Amino acid sequence: MLRILHDTNYDFIRWWKVMAAITIAFILLGLGSLAIKPPNYSIEFTGGTLMQLEFTQPPDVGVIRQTLDDAGIHGAEIQQFGTNREFTVRAQDPSAVSAQSKGAESIAVTIEKVLKTKFGESNLKVVRTEAVGPRVGQELRRGAIVAILLSFLITLVYLSIRFEWRFATAAVIATSHDVFTTIAFLKLMHLEISLTVVAGLLTVLGYSLNDTIIIFDRVRENLRKGRKETLYETLNRSINETLPRSVLTHATVLAATLSLLFFAGEVIRPFAWVMAFGIITGTFSSIYVAAPVLLWIERKWPRKTGARQASSTATPTSRTRPSPATATR
Amino acid sequence: MSLKYRILCIFALIAASIWALFPRTVIERVKRNGEFVYDTVRRVPLKRGLDLQGGMHLALEVDESKGPVPDKSKAIDNALKVVRNRIDEFGVSEPLVQKAGNDRIIVELPGIDDPRRAQDVVQKSAFLEFQITDKTQALDKSLPRLDALLRDKKLVVAAATPGAKKDTTSSAGLQSLFTADTSKKADTAKTDSAAAVGTVGGPGAFSKLLTQGNMPGEYYVAQPDVGTVTQYLTLPEVTAALPPGKVLRWSSDTTSLSGRTYRALYVLDAKPIITGEFLTNAKPNTSPTEGNLVEFTMNNEGARRFRMETGRHIKDFMAIVLDQKVMGQPPVIQSAIGARGQITMGGKDLQAAQDLALVLRAGSLPVPLKVVEVRQIGASLGQDSIHKGITAGIIAVALVVVIMLGYYRFSGALAVAALVLYILYTLAALAGFQAVLTLPGLAGFVLSIGIAVDANVLIFERIREELAHGKTVRTAIDEGFRHAMSAIVDSNVSTALTAAVLYQYGTGPVRGFAVTLLAGIAASMITSIFVVRTFYMLWLNRSREAQQSLSI
Repeated sequence: MLRILHDTNYDFIRWWKVMAAITIAFILLGLGSLAIKPPNYSIEFTGGTLMQLEFTQPPDVGVIRQTLDDAGIHGAEIQQFGTNREFTVRAQDPSAVSAQSKGAESIAVTIEKVLKTKFGESNLKVVRTEAVGPRVGQELRRGAIVAILLSFLITLVYLSIRFEWRFATAAVIATSHDVFTTIAFLKLMHLEISLTVVAGLLTVLGYSLNDTIIIFDRVRENLRKGRKETLYETLNRSINETLPRSVLTHATVLAATLSLLFFAGEVIRPFAWVMAFGIITGTFSSIYVAAPVLLWIERKWPRKTGARQASSTATPTSRTRPSPATATR
Repeated sequence: MSLKYRILCIFALIAASIWALFPRTVIERVKRNGEFVYDTVRRVPLKRGLDLQGGMHLALEVDESKGPVPDKSKAIDNALKVVRNRIDEFGVSEPLVQKAGNDRIIVELPGIDDPRRAQDVVQKSAFLEFQITDKTQALDKSLPRLDALLRDKKLVVAAATPGAKKDTTSSAGLQSLFTADTSKKADTAKTDSAAAVGTVGGPGAFSKLLTQGNMPGEYYVAQPDVGTVTQYLTLPEVTAALPPGKVLRWSSDTTSLSGRTYRALYVLDAKPIITGEFLTNAKPNTSPTEGNLVEFTMNNEGARRFRMETGRHIKDFMAIVLDQKVMGQPPVIQSAIGARGQITMGGKDLQAAQDLALVLRAGSLPVPLKVVEVRQIGASLGQDSIHKGITAGIIAVALVVVIMLGYYRFSGALAVAALVLYILYTLAALAGFQAVLTLPGLAGFVLSIGIAVDANVLIFERIREELAHGKTVRTAIDEGFRHAMSAIVDSNVSTALTAAVLYQYGTGPVRGFAVTLLAGIAASMITSIFVVRTFYMLWLNRSREAQQSLSI
C-alpha cells in the first residue's frame, strides 16, 4: 500500500498568523494595484468590439495599428493570439463603445473593411467577432456579482442546516477570502476578466468550499467522538486526517487543470489559470482561513456548554449540532 | 439492493447512455444550389454551442434613436414573430429565436458563413409603401422660405463640399483660400451639371444644392452634398417649413450624370396609396432589360385598392418606397395596376433580390431594431476548439488514471473503470437533456474528470483507515462507504447549488458550463458511490481469498 502523508501530526494552525500576514499582504498588493489601474475587463463587461483575425502571412502589428488609427479607431489593443499569424483586435475605449450606440456591429464592420483594404481581401480572415453594446455589459456585470453573492447566501443556508451557523460562517468567510485572492491573482497576472473567468472563479469557490466541507465534516465527526481535546486540537487532527485525501484530489484536479492550461487552446487558458490558482487558494483557505475563523467564532460566541461533557458519545441530535464540550480551548 | 439488481441497474444505465449517444439520423435544412432542401445526416446527438460549431449570435433591441416606442414589450413580441418568420425562410439548421427579458430578442444561427447578410435579413424593417411623386411643385414653392430661413437663422451647417460653404458662411472667403483648389473643382463640376440638367436652385443655401430631375418631384443632389442636405432636413425649423402633406425621400441608389454622381431626392405625397401589408408573395427574378428584381403579389383586398388608386393616378409617377428609401426610378403609371407588381434592384445582385423577397414575404418589422450584441465564430475556429478540448480531455484522463492506479492499485482500477462510466453517463445526460455543449462547458467537463475521482479518494482513504483499525476487508469497505457519505453528499450538494446559481444568472457559454457541471456532479455521485460499491461486492463474492486482503 502506497501511502503519502499518512498518520501525520503537524500543527498546521500554529502558523495561522504568519499565513494570515502573507495572504493579507497578497490581497492588499492586488487591491492596491487595482486602485492604481482598474482591472482588465473583457468586452463582455465593458462593451466594445473584439475580433480575432487570421492572416496568411505574419503581419506587421505596427501597420495594423496605423491602419486602425487612420480609420478613426484609436487605442485599439492588438495582441498575438496563438501563432504569429493570428491576432486579436480589441476596441474597448469609451469612444469606440459609444460609437456602438448606433448598433453594436458598426466598429467591427469598419475594422474588417479597413484591414481588408490594407492587407488584401484574401490575406486575412475574421474567425471570431464579438461586439457588445454598453448596456449589455452593465447587465452582465451586475449578473455576475448577483451570482456570486447568491451562491454565498445559498451555501450559508445549506451549511447552517447541515452543520451549524458557526461552521457555515467560517466556510463562507474562507470562500470570500478566495474571491479576493483570485481577484488579486487576476490583476497581478494581467488576466482579462471575462464571463469564462467568472465561471472559473465560481468553480474555484465551489472547489474551495468542497475542501472546507471535507475538513469540517471530519471536525464534526471528531467532535461527536467526544475526545478530551480542545477545538484547536480537533481542527489540527481533522486537517491531518484528511491530508492524504487532499493531496490525492488536488493532484488529480491539478492534472486536469494543467492539461487544460497547456492543450485546450488560447481561449480557455485564462480559465485554466484561475483554476490552477484556485487549487492553491482553496486548499490554503480551508486550513488557514476556515479553521482560525471557526476558532475565533467559537471564542466569541461559545456554544452553550450544557451538562454534557467530552466523554459523552454521539447522540442522534449531534449530527447537526456537534458536541458542545470541546468548544473552547 | 441485491447484487443482481445493482448490476442490472448499471447495465440499464449503460444501455440508456449508449442509446442517448448513438449516432442518429436527423433531418436538417441545408442549402443546395441556392435552394433549401431537407436532408438527412447521421451524427452523435450532442448539441454543440455556437462557439464550438461556428455561427452567429445576435441580441436585438428596439431602436429608439428615431423616436420613442411606447410599448416596447409588445413591439418586441410582434418583432419576434417577424424575425422568426424571416429566419425560418433564411434556412439555417436549428436556429434559435427567442425573447430575452422584456425588450430583447436573441437570435442564434449556427453555421452561418455570411454574418453580414444574416444580420441584414434580421434587421431590415422591410416597410413597403407606394407613394405618388408630387406634381404640384410644392418644394419649389417652399424653397425661398427655406433659403431665407437658413440664412436668417444662421443655421447653415458646414457643407460637405467647400463650394457650398463659400457662398453661405461669412468666413467662407478665408476658408476658400485654403481650400481653393478643391472648391474650384466642385464649382466647375457644378456648372457643368447645371448646364446639363437645368438648375432649379437659386443662390440660396438650400436651393443651390438641388437640381431639377426628370420628373415632377424629383431633384438631384450631388453625392458630396447629400450629407449637408440630410442635415438640413433634420433641423426642426426646416421640417416645419417643408410643404405640408408631403415627405422627402432619398433614392436607394445613385445616378451618374455627366460624370458626376448624384442621389435623387423625391418629394412624395405623404399618404401612401398602399403599403406592403397586403403583400402575399414575393419572389426574385431577373429581367434582361431591368436586371434583378422582385416580383410581388397582393391579396384581393390589396389588389382592389391598388387598382383603384393607380386608376386615379394614371400618368403620375409612383415611387416604391422601402424603409423610407425610393427603390429604383419611380415608373409612370400607364394604366390601373392590379395584384402584381415588381421592384427593380438597380444593379444589385440576385442575392440582394432574394433577400428582399424573403423579408417582404416574412412581413415588415413593426419597430426598427438595433444590434446590441454580436458574437460570430468561424466554423474552423470551433472545430479547432473541439480538437484542442478533446486532446486536453484525453491527457487529463491519462494523468488521472496514472495517479489512481499508481496510488490505489486494484481499487484504483475500479475507480478508473467507474471513471469511464462517468464520462459515458455525463455525455449521455448532456445529450438526453439536450444541453448545449460550449467551450467553457468542455473545459468544465475536462476539469470535472479530475474532480470526479474525489469521492472515490474519500472512500478509499476511509477504507484504509478502517483497515488500519484492524477491521476485516468486508466491514472496512462497508464502513468506508458509510463514513465517507456525509462528506461526499455535503460537498457535492453545495457545488451543485453553486452550479444552479450559475445556470440561473449566466448567459450563453457560461450556462453551458453550469449544465456540464451539474451533469458531472450527478454522474460522479452515481459512479463513485453506486458503481464502485457494486464492483467491490462483485469482487468480494468472486474470490474467497479476496476477503483476506485488499489492494488499496
